[in-house]
Amino acid sequence: MKRSNCLIEVCEDFDSFSKRIKTSFIEGNNSKMFRNTIWYRSLLDAEKSCLKEDKLKKIHYKFQDDKEMVEEYNVDTQVLLRRAWKVKGKLGGEGKWDVEIGDPIPDATPHIEGIGADFMESKDQPILTRRNTRINLEWRIRNLPYPIETYSVSANNDERCIVIRTTNKKYFKRLQVPELDRLNLPIEQANIQCSHSFNTLIIAYKKPQQLLDMDKEWYLELNKVKPIKDIPNDCKTQ
Amino acid sequence: MASIAAAQVQEVRSITRIERIGAHSHIRGLGLDDSLEPRAVSQGMVGQKMARKAAGVILQMIREGKIAGRAVLLAGQPGTGKTAIAMGLAQALGPDTPFTSMAGSEIFSLEMSKTEALTQAIRKSIGIRIKEESEIIEGEVVEVVVERAAGGGGARVGRLTLKTTDMETNYDMGAKMIDSLLKEKVQAGDVITIDKATGKINKLGRSFARARDYDATGQQARFVQCPEGELQKRKEVVHTVTLHEIDVINSRTHGFLALFSGDTGEIKSEIREQINGKVAEWREEGKAEMIPGVLFIDEAHMLDIECFSYLNRALESETAPVVIMATNRGITRIRGTNYKSPHGIPLDLLDRMIIVPTSPYSHQELREILNIRCEEEDCQMSADALTVLTRVATETSLRYSIQLITTASLVAKRRKATEVSMEDVKKVYSLFLDEHRSEQFLKEYQDEFMFNDGSGDAPQLMEVSQ
Repeated sequence: MKRSNCLIEVCEDFDSFSKRIKTSFIEGNNSKMFRNTIWYRSLLDAEKSCLKEDKLKKIHYKFQDDKEMVEEYNVDTQVLLRRAWKVKGKLGGEGKWDVEIGDPIPDATPHIEGIGADFMESKDQPILTRRNTRINLEWRIRNLPYPIETYSVSANNDERCIVIRTTNKKYFKRLQVPELDRLNLPIEQANIQCSHSFNTLIIAYKKPQQLLDMDKEWYLELNKVKPIKDIPNDCKTQ
Repeated sequence: MASIAAAQVQEVRSITRIERIGAHSHIRGLGLDDSLEPRAVSQGMVGQKMARKAAGVILQMIREGKIAGRAVLLAGQPGTGKTAIAMGLAQALGPDTPFTSMAGSEIFSLEMSKTEALTQAIRKSIGIRIKEESEIIEGEVVEVVVERAAGGGGARVGRLTLKTTDMETNYDMGAKMIDSLLKEKVQAGDVITIDKATGKINKLGRSFARARDYDATGQQARFVQCPEGELQKRKEVVHTVTLHEIDVINSRTHGFLALFSGDTGEIKSEIREQINGKVAEWREEGKAEMIPGVLFIDEAHMLDIECFSYLNRALESETAPVVIMATNRGITRIRGTNYKSPHGIPLDLLDRMIIVPTSPYSHQELREILNIRCEEEDCQMSADALTVLTRVATETSLRYSIQLITTASLVAKRRKATEVSMEDVKKVYSLFLDEHRSEQFLKEYQDEFMFNDGSGDAPQLMEVSQ
């Protein structure tokens, strides 16, 4: 009883709730465990707004603890292209976007003041980006010229990360897997796959069933958020 | 190997670079001993013992940081070391205590109201020490390369290679970073941390792997392990920021417009209140610590009555810094009124101040100061030339005779002498008039100058209309 109370609170309309309860009874509880996670509930609780641009669907979340997140979905493939968090400094101010998945947002305002432009990694150093596909979580590390035998990629469940080591001691990285953390799922070595081509090391982690289910259900849930219609028209020349 | 040589050449160059010399560049502190007794000649300070002792007491008061909103007035004739004492106080306080120095006339601006300028100056003088998570790069230096970009006078570019036991990364450096690396004398084998936000470099010691390079290590070389794991880490670091900086961070209108307006303009009082609340909260939770600093207003008689009444109020606030003012005026009109008052400061504000007088220097002290300035301006002066300069200083002013140091040394260089002689000083004394002789000259030839109608009213009119 207590649990259903919670769910009633977080659901916008009662209909969808009762429907979901039914389906969950039909399919059995196990695969729908994600609904009980704090993450899924906070997603439901968050204030959402939606914007549609051609093939892109952008969702802005404002969570109850004042955090902000933006997601971009491809409408055709339903794949999450980008997820970014707003990071605010302790002293206040505008804050910056920290990209969790997808290509980093190019900096429109290059560092003029401060040390930013004065000290940074060289252009030829390895760059890590995240790009998820429908079935995999993917990390791509560009500018890594060493052959595939150099790398050892292992799951470390004590520190909840995937560790990349190199035998020539040139590169080392701990990869966090927030998707699995949020669902409290373990990182399994068997799900990790590596490939290396064009100076790029690609690490793919097969999405577990829970995550696949959640992605699917959440995309349907997002259809309820009505896109904003009256956005100021971007200047269209003839 | 060539790159190391290049770095060394660079280093020599940056050491020999001559800094521009300011009027008070020889001041390095208040010249007090541990019991706050003034030494006769120390840290560039000469004489003025009572005033320096008083400044020492004030220094102690500031360091303890308990008392907010005290005001101190340094009063004395021109050229008696008021600004020097304030500079010395700033040096003695160290870089961690905020010290804001401004001239009284600075607050009159078209872009900002007087009280806004004063508020900003006051808030610049209060520091907040706060813990913040920041990105730190920690690793052992493999190589430092500094080279000049192609073409004459191109900007310097540098590359720094750092490693841990597990990885290695190259970084590009700009001119500022190269300078601070050279200043810290960072070389291959050192283990350093770099704060990514501020660029601050911290040397932790030398790597154990280099323990055998005996010749390359000093006596107190500390050996540390090469760090493990990733180069970039997140760490809690203690920062000192001023209240004004927090104001600015929170008041910037977003969008790229903020980039082009370097100045901050006026800051809304709501934002300030919000930040005061936040800071009070942090202090209560023990997350932050307040460091009251010093606001120094030179030429304080240039403030007007509105500023004085604003200061009266502002000094009562809990977050007020110690305000030090300096003036060389006697009993004069308070700006913005027709009333006269000592030092041109209203009596109610004077009542809240402790007044430190400075008195004219003695003959011997003048000689000592001129000697220090000669060293500072890199000028060899013969004993009799110094005696003449001291005579000039007693008869005209200290500032005028300091002007004669470099001019005389240039004259001496013209005749290829290594030392400035009495003749050189005499020559520049005849070349350049002091204020008194100039006045004499004007009185003599006044009739032949432009716009001269014989009445002395014009300058007075200017003083009145503001």
